[in-house]
Amino acid sequence: MSPPAVQEAVDAAFREEWGRVVATLIRRTGDWDLAEDCAQEAFAEALRRWPADGVPQRPGAWLTTVAGNRAIDRLRRGARGAELLEQAGREALARPDTDEETMPELFGESDEIEDDRLRLIFTCCHPALPPEGRVALTLRSLAWLTTAEIARAFLVSEATMAKRLTRAKAKIAAAGIPYRVPPAHLLPERTAGVLAVLYLMFNEGYAASAGDELIRAGLCDEATRLARALWHLMPDEPEPMGALALMLLHSSRRRARVGEHGELITLEEQDRSRWDQTEIDEGLRLLDAALRRRRVGPYQLQAAIAACHARAENAADTDWGEIAGLYVLLEDRMPSPVVRLNRAVAVAMAGDIETGLAIVDELAEQGALTDYHLLEATRADLYRRRGDREASIAAYHRALEAARTEPEREFIRRRLAEQSAQR
Amino acid sequence: MKYLLFICSDGLPVPEAMAVMQRDLPAWIDEMGGRGVRLFGRELELPEAAATVRVREGETLVTDGPFAETKEFVAGLDLLDCADLDEAIEVAAKSPVSRYHPMEIRPFRGELQLGEGASRFARDDDSAGTPYLLAMWMSQAPAALLDDEAVKRESDAWRRHVQPSGIHVLGGALGDPETATTLRVRDGETVLSDGPGIDAAEFIAAIEVVSCPGRRQAIELAAAHPIARHHAIEVRPFYSG
Repeated sequence: MSPPAVQEAVDAAFREEWGRVVATLIRRTGDWDLAEDCAQEAFAEALRRWPADGVPQRPGAWLTTVAGNRAIDRLRRGARGAELLEQAGREALARPDTDEETMPELFGESDEIEDDRLRLIFTCCHPALPPEGRVALTLRSLAWLTTAEIARAFLVSEATMAKRLTRAKAKIAAAGIPYRVPPAHLLPERTAGVLAVLYLMFNEGYAASAGDELIRAGLCDEATRLARALWHLMPDEPEPMGALALMLLHSSRRRARVGEHGELITLEEQDRSRWDQTEIDEGLRLLDAALRRRRVGPYQLQAAIAACHARAENAADTDWGEIAGLYVLLEDRMPSPVVRLNRAVAVAMAGDIETGLAIVDELAEQGALTDYHLLEATRADLYRRRGDREASIAAYHRALEAARTEPEREFIRRRLAEQSAQR
Repeated sequence: MKYLLFICSDGLPVPEAMAVMQRDLPAWIDEMGGRGVRLFGRELELPEAAATVRVREGETLVTDGPFAETKEFVAGLDLLDCADLDEAIEVAAKSPVSRYHPMEIRPFRGELQLGEGASRFARDDDSAGTPYLLAMWMSQAPAALLDDEAVKRESDAWRRHVQPSGIHVLGGALGDPETATTLRVRDGETVLSDGPGIDAAEFIAAIEVVSCPGRRQAIELAAAHPIARHHAIEVRPFYSG
């Protein structure tokens, strides 16, 4: 293989295998830090050897074996080593002389390794962990990202991010958070918790309002990859499928939603030929398969809404009546002011601007979303569509005050300029 | 794993909540006792009944009232013995109390010490003395003092001292507040949050339960505890029905 090809193969294997190696080592040793360190060392070893020796046929088995051997070495040296080795199951761990290329997967059958990854996802997303710790731990343990990279993606210092990770791991050990896939009666609730973490991760990347662009795009990819893994691990559950569909459908618009100068382009104004048709096709296929199971949940509904946009040839073709109906179902399952605001937009776009505005007014009266610029921006847009320029301009000014990021402010300023020009 | 369940309250429950809890608690106690996941639990007197004890330069300082001036306070506790946090969550969520009060689930830091008075305490038998909670409040996590070998030795000596007389009921150091999980049940749904149930700068880092004839003795026992020299110990009687 040529050097770039090797590099590519190494990268692909790393991205794919990191979570598996860490997950298996955690099960075997019960020690998260040890698992990460040894996985890191195994990957470094691969970087040294694979370019010369070639990528092994089963890179995952190779990496797991090397990492496992490192773990044994460290445990032997450590004071509590003997005790830990006993706990870890000596027979399964200690086979240091086996040839790394041809040896059987000493960490168990591949099914078991897949189970390990599922255990790891559910443990990282345990509801007793602080929310920011769940996201950080999921990225650190399951995605091949360093603490520094995760810190950059979330715009915090590396020390802060390291502290979040340490805290989360300490709580898992001290509070007795089990390393397992939850039993059936907890599964729906806990799966929703995992999906919430993955979707938050996706949105953090998708918002793309600040921070390192490349790493933010990486967050979307990792979230999508983990959602895909979750779907493969739980093929009969429709919500992971729905979440993956939702991510793919949003992801398909990534190139079209930001202009040359980093400005946000609304769905209405996007060049739909720049949407990624492969992602749309897969998203729609997954959504259909999920809906056929007849167990609708919030991710399937959000994906169904995204699908309405994806299917429309142009903005005018959008079936807003359908979208408004889907928002009613979504609000029923996931009541929130943001969902209601979106419903107001859909109702207005379906032709009933007055009702849409009435819903927005009601939200404002309830004091919901007051520091959320989209409430005023929505109001401004609906006034604009009704032809009420004065009210629209006033609302855009209020939205400008509440907007937090520069692309958001820039977008509102552009709208304001358009409105003022029509005067 | 042993867990301490703190029942958090901001006053006396309204009569209807009281009625529901009184109606449903016996079944929960039977079920969880039968499964071996709940060892025992008791209700505390209101915070007004508390005294706070410190020892500084050899002098015992006692103030009336609870240590923390928070709206919420610990109204009772349960001792759980569960496989893991998920089981502790399940046990707590099934309690009728969780419908009305947040419950903090805190793991023990090390061994839980059960004294001679434990079985009487568990049976609500207060004939030999009134049970008092000695809650050790600290202001900064991690509570490194609890891991200090000298302090550990002194605490053990304190327990040995109170042990033979049947005074000691139970005691142990708790996990740092960052290991706590607070549970609320709203409309049948369990909502978890990370951290303690009582919003205060300080936290209960360790507990001892003693059984003695009266408040004066309980205060003396608290003053004799090594932690009293470094921090504050809140002394509060359990409710004797």
